[in-house]
Amino acid sequence: MSLDFLRVDAGEAVAHSPMEAPARVAGARFEVRDGWNVAVEFGLGGTGSGAQVSWADVSHLAKVELQGSADAIGELPFGTAVRRDEAWWCRLTQTRALVIGRRPELADADDLNVVDVTCNFAALTLVGPLARETFARFCALDLRPQVTPVAALRPGSIGRQPGLVIREDEDRYLFLFGWATGEYMWSVVADAAGHLGGGPIGVDALREVAAAHA
Amino acid sequence: MSRLNPQSGERIDRTKTISFTFDGKKVEAYEGDTIGSALYAAGRRTFGRSFKYHRRRGLMCVAGQCPNCICAVDGVGGGGVRACIEPVREGITVTHVNAAPSLEFDAMRATDIAGGPFTPPGFYYKTFIRPRRLWPLYEKILRNAAGLGKLRRSQPEREWRTEYRRRHADVLVTGGGVAGLAAALAAARLGADVVLADEGAEPGGQQLIESERQGLAALVADVRDAGVEIIDKGSALGYFDGLVAVWQRDTLHQVRAGRHVFATGVIEQPLVFAGNDLPGVMLAGGARRLVSLYAVSPGRRAVVATTSDRGLHAAQALRAAGVQIVAVADLRPETGALAQQLRSEGIPVFSGHTVIEARGSKAVEEAIIQPVVGGSEHAFECDLVVVSGGTIPASSLLLQAGARSAYDAGRGHFAVSELPANVFAAGEVAGADTDLAAAASGELAGLRAAHALGLGDDTSAAREAELASSLAEPAAPDLAVAPPVSGSGRGKCFACLCEDVTAKDVHLSIEEGYDSIELAKRYTTVTMGPCQGRMCQLPSVRLMAQETGQGLEQVGVTTARPPWVSVPMGILGGRPVEPAKRSSIHERHRALKATIKWAGDWRRAYDYGDPEGEALNVNRAAGLIDVSTLGKLIVRGADAGEFLDRLYPNRFSNLKPGRIRYGVISSDAGRIVDDGTICRIDEDSFYVTTTSSGAGAMEEWFSWWLADWGDRVNLTDVTQGVGAVNLAGPRAREIMAAVTDLDCSNEAFAYLDGKQAQIAGVQCLILRIGFVGEVGYEIHFPAAYGQHIWDALMEAGAPLGLRPFGLEPQRILRLQKLHILVGQDTDSESTPFGAAMPWIVKLDKEQDFIGKWALEHYSQHGAGVALVGFTMPNGDVPTEGAVVLDAQGTPAGQVTSSRHSPVLDRTIGMAWVPEAFAEDGAQITISDEGRTLTAEIQTKPFYDPEGEVLRS
Amino acid sequence: MSFLLECPNCGVREVTDFGFGGEVSARPKSRPSFRELNTYNYFRRNVAGVQREWWFHRSGCRAWFIAERDTTTNDVKFTALPGSGDPGGEAAKAAPEAGGDLL
Repeated sequence: MSLDFLRVDAGEAVAHSPMEAPARVAGARFEVRDGWNVAVEFGLGGTGSGAQVSWADVSHLAKVELQGSADAIGELPFGTAVRRDEAWWCRLTQTRALVIGRRPELADADDLNVVDVTCNFAALTLVGPLARETFARFCALDLRPQVTPVAALRPGSIGRQPGLVIREDEDRYLFLFGWATGEYMWSVVADAAGHLGGGPIGVDALREVAAAHA
Repeated sequence: MSRLNPQSGERIDRTKTISFTFDGKKVEAYEGDTIGSALYAAGRRTFGRSFKYHRRRGLMCVAGQCPNCICAVDGVGGGGVRACIEPVREGITVTHVNAAPSLEFDAMRATDIAGGPFTPPGFYYKTFIRPRRLWPLYEKILRNAAGLGKLRRSQPEREWRTEYRRRHADVLVTGGGVAGLAAALAAARLGADVVLADEGAEPGGQQLIESERQGLAALVADVRDAGVEIIDKGSALGYFDGLVAVWQRDTLHQVRAGRHVFATGVIEQPLVFAGNDLPGVMLAGGARRLVSLYAVSPGRRAVVATTSDRGLHAAQALRAAGVQIVAVADLRPETGALAQQLRSEGIPVFSGHTVIEARGSKAVEEAIIQPVVGGSEHAFECDLVVVSGGTIPASSLLLQAGARSAYDAGRGHFAVSELPANVFAAGEVAGADTDLAAAASGELAGLRAAHALGLGDDTSAAREAELASSLAEPAAPDLAVAPPVSGSGRGKCFACLCEDVTAKDVHLSIEEGYDSIELAKRYTTVTMGPCQGRMCQLPSVRLMAQETGQGLEQVGVTTARPPWVSVPMGILGGRPVEPAKRSSIHERHRALKATIKWAGDWRRAYDYGDPEGEALNVNRAAGLIDVSTLGKLIVRGADAGEFLDRLYPNRFSNLKPGRIRYGVISSDAGRIVDDGTICRIDEDSFYVTTTSSGAGAMEEWFSWWLADWGDRVNLTDVTQGVGAVNLAGPRAREIMAAVTDLDCSNEAFAYLDGKQAQIAGVQCLILRIGFVGEVGYEIHFPAAYGQHIWDALMEAGAPLGLRPFGLEPQRILRLQKLHILVGQDTDSESTPFGAAMPWIVKLDKEQDFIGKWALEHYSQHGAGVALVGFTMPNGDVPTEGAVVLDAQGTPAGQVTSSRHSPVLDRTIGMAWVPEAFAEDGAQITISDEGRTLTAEIQTKPFYDPEGEVLRS
Repeated sequence: MSFLLECPNCGVREVTDFGFGGEVSARPKSRPSFRELNTYNYFRRNVAGVQREWWFHRSGCRAWFIAERDTTTNDVKFTALPGSGDPGGEAAKAAPEAGGDLL
């Protein structure tokens, strides 16, 4: 036996995000992409119709935990996420790291365990000039630019749940939280961002925002 | 209308009129008015009725400090809304509180007139205790009499949106007067990220009452330009280890700053004399604010009583506004320069005098002053008594931050004497009395805060030194300390306006033995009202000192606790969101109209409408339950087996890959903490399940011992990442055959085997266990496939009678098997021996394990009580928690679980009973809410006692 | 109570980010007497002053660490991962062995 039963493989079965129900209510259009039912756009589409803050469900991002000796995990700083092979490499402790975005080409070894934790964490991207103000409504982390520069990694409480934030870009934050808290976290973010005039966007709009930044 | 000609710096906009109603009557106001200023301008003098005696109260502080003008706006109010600072808005409905039937005629006024015997301190403790049977009646009356304002009855009416906002800053400056502005500017100019919280409608503090505001506008502009975030109308509620909660309208800003500057100013004090609560008795600052901010004349003829130049400045300002000053009683024996000037302007100044009585029926009509050292009194006809009884520093937040205070005899108040690290005080709260000194002390505090953060340069360091030396020797204050009370014997002299505590009440409480400030506070409730001691702490300390013959230093002050201002509970509550966990199959449960309830922090399908039917269907055909809430840990590494051997009383290192074993976690005290099954995946990997409620605690427990022992073990909590369902029942095997190629025959896949296989195309871990007592397959899979797996199983099982079952039917089913629920059938006293699981404790294990020593002890010394099953011959179902009685009728145990079993059609249950009763057929007595029931003990499972079904 | 703690892995966080694991006390290394066992299980020193204690970064990296904290002021002297050679102050020396001074 193995731990293969933890892996989300793009087989015939369709994988679902825990935030599908509220996204559907908010008007999402879904498409199956790489085995995941993904919210690709909302309503009129586009980049959230110029809202100052938008959020997108990116729970489908692959997540892998590396556990083992510091040597086996390799050089990874604390507090900063390293962009490597289309993934964020995040050191959590001396003996644990999390790779977010793409499954690394790593196999179990004597001093390294590789565990698929894709479904341990749901994920949202919060984007826009008011993203930080939105976080301030439900998160005590200090995300001021002078304290949290781009690529900073901040594990900590989000919406009263264990979580982790990566500042992906000037006004763009990726954050992870427990899979089972997906609906709850959507409601928290929708409440805070909605009050600041924001709304949900699909992954296609998110890509446009990223392109606009680049 | 008593509106004055335009005043320089007035806040009202005379081009914009607003109207609202007060107690049903229309009131005209200008934009920029407060409810209080508009009502005063319209001639109103009575704003509320006092708490106990229902005496008339009018505007006094005009700064939101005193309790006199508490009102309700659009039905919401009570302690939180002060008319004097609440801005007017078009169309609002303002009502008075604490007077019935009306503000002008209040029936409860009788308490003041009859007075005496009915209303001393503690009168309700003394009066309403007998006869006891009348208490329900008393309670009804007291509930109506107590409190200010009315709570709205329905929930929607009471709700409005409030929210938290977290703000991190380098420096938080609390208080936006000259000192606070200077501090913010100095720190921001050195590069600090500064937030300034000011409770006023605009920054400026005391400067705002001056007609000449030297450079205030420019200063505020500079502060904004320097990048300071100004939270206006933001009241700091409390200091909590470096975090200050600032309430601004509907938002609670939680400002976490590295350094704090408090420039919170001082609070002008009233004087304690007979009739000092009459409408028309007003603080000097209050009278001046009415004039300069709202262009409202506070009266026509005024008597001023003061202890310092504050009152004299007020006399000048009021006179300039057209108020006739008929007399000034200056407590200071010497006539100072300013007093000379006033006299030369024709204002009679009486040095060494103070006010002893204010008279009038609805408002002040006459004031009487007298020399403090004795001499003849003078009466003056007037409609305004302006008092200035000195000041107290607004040091509550500083004290909460760890500052200390000491009695300053020169100023006659308790002054801040010592500051903790990283906390700075500036302006009047720090004793800088003049504008010039306040500005300098503010700049100094700002520089110090920035320097403490590592900012600044040589120039700023030099500036700090220069300011420090200039402030090193402040001028001695020119003031006289007010007497504790004047004119006692002439009428009620109020020390505390909020709670209607008079000087005589303080005297009485000391006579009755409540002779320390903390005791007197609790007995008389002085300082416990809405003003939070602003107006009454110093007067009550002075009275205590006089009555007990102690110095003020000995009497001391009561502790300053948050909140510093009255705040609606909703502001503290924030958004009404409750973290909820949901299984990845939750949408399906919703669609099936399941009864969803909280189970720990999860929302779970409790049943699908028919718990007994669902349970019966598992015994007769097959059922599917979502058990995604189970705790799930992956324990991997070279030492994994040994690590589990040390954590559990039984052995896991000898478990073969692909096999499952039940385990109970015990504490070092030998008590049951959690239970679950463990499947060995391969040589180095174990899949550990825990109870749903214990998932988090078990991960912490495992990783705690790991941190201590340092084994070569990696731990991954996959509780939320892995979904799980249990397919159980006589037809479960057939259903499995429809969804997987795995050979599920009993020979190939036996009880307590774990297998990995594809189910409906998804790689799953399948555990053959039997919590519900039937052939069962607990299927674990990535949470993202929850709906897929559920749908596939339901579809395959439908023709075979498969139905979903919820948590409640599962409880019935497991009870039929006498499977315990940790936390339901066990508590913090339960040991595996008591819980009839001696077999799980392997005391012969070679290595040490958690709980070993205690369990060795209990293996020899019996637990005294035992967990057993019971049945009820007559079909009663006792309440869970009902008491088990021993032969003498003494409580000796309790029922932990009880249900009607549909498959057996009888009552089954579990209970802790004295060991002597723990045998089949023994009769026990259960006392259940007044009923006495008899039950029969059964130690074997009620259903399939030999486990043949389970293993088939 | 709203003080800050520095997680050795993640940095400074609000105290609400963490789980409190109680004061550090050594588990007996060999079989204790019944009295020693009960002291270890049920008695705490409950120091009014600097105390050596366990904390768990529940909302972040989920690691246990040691802190020395003044229980009267919530002033945290230092935090460190167990076994990392922390600067263990007076409180470390005072940590009881098998109940030690509590017997």
